[in-house]
Amino acid sequence: MIMVDRWNPERRDEEEEEDEEDEFNETHYKAQKDALIFAIQVSDSMLQPPPKSEDKKANQDSATLTALKCAYQVMQQRIISNPKDMISIVLFGTEKTKVTDIKLPDSHCYLLTDLEVPAADDVKNLRGLVEEGEGADEILVPSKQPADMVMLLRLVLHLFQTRAPNFGSRRLFIITDNDDPCAGMKKNPSWDPAVRAKDIHDHGCTIELFPISHGDSKFDTSKFYDDIIYHDPVLDETNPGRVAPAKSHDGLNLLNSLVSNINSRQTPKRACFSRMPFEIGPGLTISVKGYNIIQKQAPARSCYIWLEDERPQVAVGETARLAEDSARTVEKFEVKKAYKFGSEYVYFTDEEQKSIKQFGNPCIRIIGFKDRSLLRFWASIKKSTYIFPSEDGYVGSIRVFTALWQKLLKSRKVGVAWHIARKNGNPQLVAVIPSRATSDEKSGTQYIPAGLWLYPIPFTDDVRDGPEIGKVIRTTNALTDRMNKVVQQLQLPGGAYNPAKYPNPALQWHYKILQALALEDVVPEQPEDATVPKYRAIHKRCGGYIQEWSQVADDVLGQIQEQKKIKREFEADNEDEPRPPKKARGTTTKDKNASEDGLSNAELRQRYDAGTLTKLTVAELRGAMNSRGLDTKGLKKDLVERLERWVEDNA
Amino acid sequence: MADKEATIYILDLGSSMADCHNGRIESDLDWSMRYVWDKISTTVAASRKTWNVGVIGVKTDDTDNPLDSQDGGEGYEHISVLQELGPMTMGSLTALRDSVKTSNTQIGDAISAIVLAVEMIEKFTKKLKYNRRIVLVTDGEAPIDNSDIDDIAQKIKRSGIQLTVLLDRGVDFDDSEFGFKEEDKSGIKEQNEAILKDLVEKCNGLYGTIAEAISELETPRVKSVKPYKTYDGLLTLGDPSVHEDAMSINVERYFKTHKATVPPASRVVMKTESSTNPSSVADGDGMQGVEPMPSFSAVKDARTYKVNDPDAPGGKRDVDRDNLAKGYEYGRTAVHISESDYNITKIETTKSFSIVGFIYEEKYEPFLNMGGTCMTVAQRFNDAAALKLSSLIHSLHELESYAVARIVTKDGKEPALILLAPHIEPDFECLYDVPLPFAEDVRNYPFPHLHKVITVQGNTITENHRNLPSLELQQAMDDYVDAMDISSWEKDDEGARTMEYAAVEDLFSPPLHRINQVIRHRATYPTQPIPPTPAILLKYANPPEDLVAKARSDLEDLIDKASVKKGKISLATTVIMLSTNIRLVPPKAQGRKAKGDKPRPISGLDIDALLKQPENKRAQISPDKAIPEFKQKVEIADNQADIEDAMKQMGAIIRGIVTKSFSDQDYERAVEHIGVMKETAIDYEYPDLFNKFMVDFKSRLLSGEFGGNRRELWWRIKSVKLGLIDSNASEPSKVTPEEAAAVSKTLSETLFLRYTADI
Repeated sequence: MIMVDRWNPERRDEEEEEDEEDEFNETHYKAQKDALIFAIQVSDSMLQPPPKSEDKKANQDSATLTALKCAYQVMQQRIISNPKDMISIVLFGTEKTKVTDIKLPDSHCYLLTDLEVPAADDVKNLRGLVEEGEGADEILVPSKQPADMVMLLRLVLHLFQTRAPNFGSRRLFIITDNDDPCAGMKKNPSWDPAVRAKDIHDHGCTIELFPISHGDSKFDTSKFYDDIIYHDPVLDETNPGRVAPAKSHDGLNLLNSLVSNINSRQTPKRACFSRMPFEIGPGLTISVKGYNIIQKQAPARSCYIWLEDERPQVAVGETARLAEDSARTVEKFEVKKAYKFGSEYVYFTDEEQKSIKQFGNPCIRIIGFKDRSLLRFWASIKKSTYIFPSEDGYVGSIRVFTALWQKLLKSRKVGVAWHIARKNGNPQLVAVIPSRATSDEKSGTQYIPAGLWLYPIPFTDDVRDGPEIGKVIRTTNALTDRMNKVVQQLQLPGGAYNPAKYPNPALQWHYKILQALALEDVVPEQPEDATVPKYRAIHKRCGGYIQEWSQVADDVLGQIQEQKKIKREFEADNEDEPRPPKKARGTTTKDKNASEDGLSNAELRQRYDAGTLTKLTVAELRGAMNSRGLDTKGLKKDLVERLERWVEDNA
Repeated sequence: MADKEATIYILDLGSSMADCHNGRIESDLDWSMRYVWDKISTTVAASRKTWNVGVIGVKTDDTDNPLDSQDGGEGYEHISVLQELGPMTMGSLTALRDSVKTSNTQIGDAISAIVLAVEMIEKFTKKLKYNRRIVLVTDGEAPIDNSDIDDIAQKIKRSGIQLTVLLDRGVDFDDSEFGFKEEDKSGIKEQNEAILKDLVEKCNGLYGTIAEAISELETPRVKSVKPYKTYDGLLTLGDPSVHEDAMSINVERYFKTHKATVPPASRVVMKTESSTNPSSVADGDGMQGVEPMPSFSAVKDARTYKVNDPDAPGGKRDVDRDNLAKGYEYGRTAVHISESDYNITKIETTKSFSIVGFIYEEKYEPFLNMGGTCMTVAQRFNDAAALKLSSLIHSLHELESYAVARIVTKDGKEPALILLAPHIEPDFECLYDVPLPFAEDVRNYPFPHLHKVITVQGNTITENHRNLPSLELQQAMDDYVDAMDISSWEKDDEGARTMEYAAVEDLFSPPLHRINQVIRHRATYPTQPIPPTPAILLKYANPPEDLVAKARSDLEDLIDKASVKKGKISLATTVIMLSTNIRLVPPKAQGRKAKGDKPRPISGLDIDALLKQPENKRAQISPDKAIPEFKQKVEIADNQADIEDAMKQMGAIIRGIVTKSFSDQDYERAVEHIGVMKETAIDYEYPDLFNKFMVDFKSRLLSGEFGGNRRELWWRIKSVKLGLIDSNASEPSKVTPEEAAAVSKTLSETLFLRYTADI
């Protein structure tokens, strides 16, 4: 998805409208962007290919290469998911030293990708290294002396300071198999690595460790890393424990566990609101944070590109305001908000505007509890927000929240709450629904954390009327039984929907093409689309059952028509006949008389044969076509043509 | 096509309508007009050319109607056509508002006015299809002629007109809710009421009181929208074009829920004098003294484009929109796509609706829904489709399953995955569906467990921890949740609590109806303040009072067992003692820097002690790492002088960053430094040190001291609210929130200096 870049000048208008939005966010001056540095160790053990494995599929990549592959994957993903975020890759412990604009001679750090929003070239170079081994002989050579952590930390701080100023999130991921990189150094009173790490933390950056252990060896964080990795009592309420070491038994396994470890930390957690009062009852309030765990991602919008210079660049748009009547430029202070009323405007002063929108302060206020069954399937209107308790505001929030969560799960109930997400925001009635822990066997949603969800309930204004429906034709038990066989045969794995299995084909294709264009690769021909049903498997497993079902359906249909015929004869006229089934099957079909929506099939046929369809008025044509589900747009001749085609196929 | 409408309002303007009754301070006319204005303004707001409104006044001082001048026009005196049938505009509304005034007479026959209205409608609508309506509002105090009632009723019926009579202060309603038994009711009135009621009954019209009509206005009107078809075609299982045995059913899919749009505010400017159009003022009769509504013009956006150019002044150069190519960004690389290839990044799809597989109902959670619901029904008049779809619906129902399907609503549209659920009513069956998330739509955010705590050392605790509910708390919560059950709290017609409380049908969108209400009100009464929010829109803002009263003891018990305290946890109460200025800093609700609370290395290494080592002490803050060094200097400061010194150094560093910034390159960096400085000043309660810096910084910025026009930076600072620290943010601050806002706003140097003279 496109994170709305709030400090982007192009967005000023929207921003002003939602002036008070960030009221609940403490570090409001920070940009909602993330900068991520991968620091990957290069050493003999990190470059050692894994022991030979029986498994043919097993990967023979070294730990360093695996880590690079992982970084490559993350880089590609993030270009899609967070196009404004920065990524850098630093190798440490290399023979060669390469750093930019900072004097760190012999630091044995190699800045493979500078900290920036990745460019196509960065992706290309990285791909060259991990897939073709381009430059590996030169770059992936360990230095004689052990890696210097102090140098690494200095370089990282420098990168964060200069490349990513004012970013809301700045993180260093260290991937290493060495649990004691400073073994040679004395822990003297002015222990440098700890001071350097403190600098990084005080600059508002975090360090995370992704340890790798070979065979049975243990990775002991207390030797070194516990001194440079921080524990924040405030933040850790909403953060799980640290990452377990990835084992390098065989390559594939290592890549998988490293990728899953890193993926679990990959997206910086951004609360969409924090310190939100959650009023469980009058006089009992706790505080929660909200997260957009479910968020629609769409391709970034197109932009304008300036091609005249040597390197194409994106032109940045600026908006000037003009008065429509006189086309004169209007200053910001002149602009007022008004509502269209008929063809005129109705105007309110700023204070009045504010008071119209005022429905109270941001809150989640429980107004009662309901049986979960009262939450109708169709009562859905937009995505839900996940909430998690925070002691930040009310001490005791977590235990009260947990008690509520357990009660709702136990009794299959939901809360109903009045929710205003931000100052001057619109109120929404929400159901408060508990989610089960991922470890819980009953959970069908293993990828979702345990907690509560604010599920918006539609207003009656949001509910639409359905189309007019005639008399229901209902299935018979025999027919339903046939269908049951089909349904039972085609369960998705585990009987649950797992989104992870279905990447968005349109989104993936968009970026795949862009990537190919940007990297000057061959444009792929065929998109991968996991959402297309597995037709062959369906056919193999259910072909027979579907045929049976179809047979029974025809029989039942025959009976229905028989009954109708009798009834019709009884009532002399006003017959009503279905269209023949898709596959023509010799059943005699009677045509219905002109019903309220126009002409019967027989009449159409007659007119078609006689070539008098064109004699019908457009209204008659539309009526006849509408009742047959045909598109009714276009000129008369289009309509006639379309209807003729239909008659050929159907009547 | 929308229906055409012709509605005539007949208004009683007799002198008696100027009186006030039933303890109101409004005249009867004004009160009655509440209903009429609401109706008329709704018509104006709809801005439909086919909705026509006419207005007739009865008991007017003058007589102005076509029937009066005709032969035998007796009985049509004191009836005036205030507005001919026609579309309503804001202009006609303004004119009308002026002509609806009580008269000095009590003469005028309401029945004659009805006859006139019927004539007008017939003449206007001819034999065309119209919704015809007459609404009579009267207090029934004047004599009316009932001689032709039967004929008139016949005529009304024949013309297909719906007659509504609304009586001011009706008496036939003993219903306690609306009935005011009028004790001193005149004989005439009683008689008139009988006549009018008789007429209404004879032409199947409606008869009611104004009070009733007005109370109906309170219930928001829900606009019904025509069904919108999102798909029609085959629903398949398997691929019919490949396998003979694939399932295919002709279906149609419609919206079931769709967010109703709240009227958006438009950006406008006052019209300049020259462009005001004098001809917009209607005929000129009775318009004197009417304050014209301010006239507005819409605001358009004109976009200009800039590219970076190191040689251009300011580092940026304007480029012409026509010289730009279209494309996308891939990372920071601009990928240009030629016009002919424009669809290259779009996935090619064909219209289809196909089942992917089935899942168990209990394995799906509604909070995964990505949006609104649609409904799928069989194609109309297609028995085979209806039968087949029905078997699928019943099968899903029996097996408690849902279907996952892929839908492409039109050729070339993006594929979506949806979840289909069966729905069965006695006379209706369909599949409802909601959009499902794709892999990219679900973010992987890890959270700790709720029912157990894992310590830093890696131990698991499942009870007796402050973050885990005790048995007593859990019990109290269970009881409270059960007591607050609203599954059947709403009263039914008999007053028994059997209905679901806050059911979807009862939920009106507060923003939508609130805005509609105030717009209509403002258009009708331009000079009045906006009315309060109707209670019905706020009904669900709080739990029902009677229920809370019932659950009172459970709630009190829960509050007791929960023992929640406002404020933030503080492991060690902080006392900062400063040699020059000894103060006790109270543990603040949101103070972030309480000592025991700040992030520490996992090992528990005493980092402060380390920093206090002489070799780590930093007297001078280095501009290269100003933020950490500034924080550390403040953290280990022994006295106020140290903090003042740190602030001073930081200020100089910030000024340096701004001065050296090429164009806006380093503004973000400056903003970050200012942000840290401000936070620190608040946390350590030295707002004045920051404010002093800020006032000085801004005046230097405005005077151009930082090399050129740096106003853009001020705009940035203001937008992220990094202005002065006011007394709300930090108690010791001498700056009020209003002063802080004023200082942020002004960009004029002289004005600014005046504001800040005493800060």
